[in-house]
Amino acid sequence: MENEEKMMTGEESLRIITEMINKTKFDIRQGSFYLLFWGWLIFVCSLSDYLLQKFTDIAHPYYVWFLIIPGVFVSMFYGFKTGQKAKVRTYAGTLYMWIWMGFLIAATVLFIIQSKRMDLVSPYILLLAGLPTFISGFIIKFRPLILGGICFWILALGIYFAGPSFYSLGTAIAMLAGYLIPGYMLKNRVDHDKV
Amino acid sequence: MTRFKELDPILHSQLRLAVISLLVGIEMAEFTYIREQTGATAGNLSIQITKLKEAGYIEVTKKFKNNYPQTLCSITKLGKQKFTEYVNDLKDYLSPKQNAK
Repeated sequence: MENEEKMMTGEESLRIITEMINKTKFDIRQGSFYLLFWGWLIFVCSLSDYLLQKFTDIAHPYYVWFLIIPGVFVSMFYGFKTGQKAKVRTYAGTLYMWIWMGFLIAATVLFIIQSKRMDLVSPYILLLAGLPTFISGFIIKFRPLILGGICFWILALGIYFAGPSFYSLGTAIAMLAGYLIPGYMLKNRVDHDKV
Repeated sequence: MTRFKELDPILHSQLRLAVISLLVGIEMAEFTYIREQTGATAGNLSIQITKLKEAGYIEVTKKFKNNYPQTLCSITKLGKQKFTEYVNDLKDYLSPKQNAK
């Protein structure tokens, strides 16, 4: 930036304003970590649950879901570390964070309410998860994530009517469509620095 | 070339306008981030940030992060209001009706 007292034309002022405002857009790369991390974790849990139910006599196949607990800690640790490194806090970034925090709280409440029938929780979790996914897609203007959110809702409806035997498989498909595919697309986005 | 001496003199300077334009879209930013984005020298930026702070356009908070000093800047309500006024004034100056005079 040149000498601060240099006179500017209106065009120069506008150029500076536009250039600076464009630099402050939310860095979407931080979102791709969570999509891929949670996408893979829940995909592995749900598919394992499905395969164990289908092909083994294991008494409690849903125990694989306990992997979610260390997952929450890994997520929190990552969030803490990236938060410490961050040199800037955007409104979109804060909104993005609180939407997902809200989902985490709602999901915890749902788990408590449904604690006696955890085997029936999948359609409701997909229903809840669709909302932050859908809104996040709009915040970062990323259509695959918006479509991912819609996929969650369609699959929530689909597995609800298909019955409990399809819950785990439906959840695995939802992870592919809602988190993993948009997550990898986000990661590999051509204009990878800022969007 | 049209000159704009009538515009808010606090904002009508390249670096101060850049700082305010950067801060208007975010909650807060570190001094080093502002320096990277504006390409200004630390000394010059420090002077301009002080001017903006004294005018009440921005708020400056000093903290420590990992034992290193950290300067955080955020725009104030007055800063947002002045920025909006500046942009509106700029629009008036740039409108064909005004330029034709």
